[in-house]
Amino acid sequence: MNIIEVENLGFDYGQKTILQKVCININKGTFLGIIGPNGAGKTTLLNLLCGLLKPKTGSIQIDSKSIESYHVKELARKIAVVRQEFVPVFDFSVTEIVSMARTPYLGSFAFPTESDRQIIVESLELTDTAQFADRLLGSLSGGERQRVFIARALAQNTPILLLDEPTSFLDMKHQVGIYDLLKNAQFRQYKTIIAVTHDINLAAQYCDEILLLFPDQNYKFGSPKEVLVQEQISKVFGVEVMKGEISEKIFFIPKGNYIKNNK
Amino acid sequence: MPKTLTKKRMIINIIISLVVLLIVINICTVTGTRSISLSNVLKGPGLEPGDNIDYEIFSVRISRVLLGVFVGAALACSGAVLQAILKNPLADPYILGISSGAGLGAVIAMLLPGISLSFLGGLPIAAFAFTGAIITVSLVWSIGYFTGRSQVTSLLLAGVVINAFFSAVIMLMTLIVKTEQLRSTMYWLMGNIPEKQESFLLLSCGTFVILGIIILWRISNNLNIITLGEYESKGLGIDTEKTKIVAFSFAAFITAIAVSLSGLIGFVGLIVPHAIRLIFGPDHRQLIPLSAIYGGIFLVISDTIARTAFGQEQLPVGVITAVIGGPFFLILLARYTRKVSLMK
Repeated sequence: MNIIEVENLGFDYGQKTILQKVCININKGTFLGIIGPNGAGKTTLLNLLCGLLKPKTGSIQIDSKSIESYHVKELARKIAVVRQEFVPVFDFSVTEIVSMARTPYLGSFAFPTESDRQIIVESLELTDTAQFADRLLGSLSGGERQRVFIARALAQNTPILLLDEPTSFLDMKHQVGIYDLLKNAQFRQYKTIIAVTHDINLAAQYCDEILLLFPDQNYKFGSPKEVLVQEQISKVFGVEVMKGEISEKIFFIPKGNYIKNNK
Repeated sequence: MPKTLTKKRMIINIIISLVVLLIVINICTVTGTRSISLSNVLKGPGLEPGDNIDYEIFSVRISRVLLGVFVGAALACSGAVLQAILKNPLADPYILGISSGAGLGAVIAMLLPGISLSFLGGLPIAAFAFTGAIITVSLVWSIGYFTGRSQVTSLLLAGVVINAFFSAVIMLMTLIVKTEQLRSTMYWLMGNIPEKQESFLLLSCGTFVILGIIILWRISNNLNIITLGEYESKGLGIDTEKTKIVAFSFAAFITAIAVSLSGLIGFVGLIVPHAIRLIFGPDHRQLIPLSAIYGGIFLVISDTIARTAFGQEQLPVGVITAVIGGPFFLILLARYTRKVSLMK
């Protein structure tokens, strides 16, 4: 069953066309990675998928209903978004931030009920953030903060989870930690997960499908095996890459000018 | 479940604060250069004016104290709201040009022949100041709205530029006023809670301020989320545009009321919300009502000092709020910041 149907989607910022005639169907429970060079429109696509931007042409259907016909609160019960972590202006604690996820389900003062509290606690535990639940967000490290924002997205309890470069400033251990966490949510809660990422290798390891955006508004959509072809990656990113394979998982290493060629 | 604000805790804190407010109102009403006895006051006004001096003094004082509560509550509450929607802890109710607009309106009124601070209980000056404030704020909002996508920055810039421009015009105008008008103009610009108001003015302003605060309180959870940024708040199902417009217009409205009645009282709108945040945390569901209550308390105490400290000579309350507010806030900052850093 398709949870997201993108048809003929186009978007431009005035003169500059970003996306053109994008048609993709995303199955419920899929882990999709969106990759591509800078400026190819990854984040724009993500913003279109969460309703922040309106399509210039074409349409996006969420659960067989046009995204534009959703009320903002209704959409927040379908889609949760995780952007790059940041420190809020005011000193909110971890629990306060995660509790905000329940807003789309509650009245104007949004005090959580017993069942809301349960979901909040579960999300804290699932992301291993319960240990600093009472601490201020500003006092955590970047990786810890990113986990808090993922906890908030989980507490939002939506069938779809969108992430914009969730691991860009994290060390290897935390990168893997975040992707394991997402995979876990995909299996246990049958969530559809869409992550924009620069990390082709993590995408190859974790994603069921890959959307590769070209700089010229072309794109390629399919399984990692189909999309992650060496020549294609070289061409799209404009850099020579070396390909490797370990237990059926592909990885790429970019090749710089100063690397020695041992023939 | 780790600690967060619960409904119960919020209600308890609000009730305790309201009790403190009542006590402060009582103490400040009986305090003054002339002491009055409550038992005399309870005897009522008497048959003719002058029959019961205590009652008359009491009724003058209580109306001044109540006006202080409304003005302080409006300024502090509006400060908290503007800090949230501008995502800027340095914002105060005057940042978007309300002060200079009201100031300009008031100074124009005072230049008109026959209008003084006491004329018709200050009603014409209040009306001019209110109009000036509302016009300026709409101007700043439209400039901010129609220039560029990053609305917060353009709003702040528009506010700063218009404030600077109008302040220059105000200075120019004070240069051409007569000496006896100059003193009352300066008094107004420094912030002063007047002695006598028409009771209908007090009543209607009080009602509007309280209604405004209740409306702002109702959107307080949205304000919590808006401080995280526009993208985040839309993702959490908040109608960001609507919340911002409601927040901005009601904050501007209650500030305009406060300013038109009492001139430019500084510090309350900046410092009270920060003090509440340091003590009770940043949750706006509690921050907004508590800022309003403690804003009222802070201003009434300051005004009581302003009218009693130097005997018959009264000081503008704006001077007192700055003189006691500044050090008090620094003490709070030192105490609570340390607590937070130890928690880390």
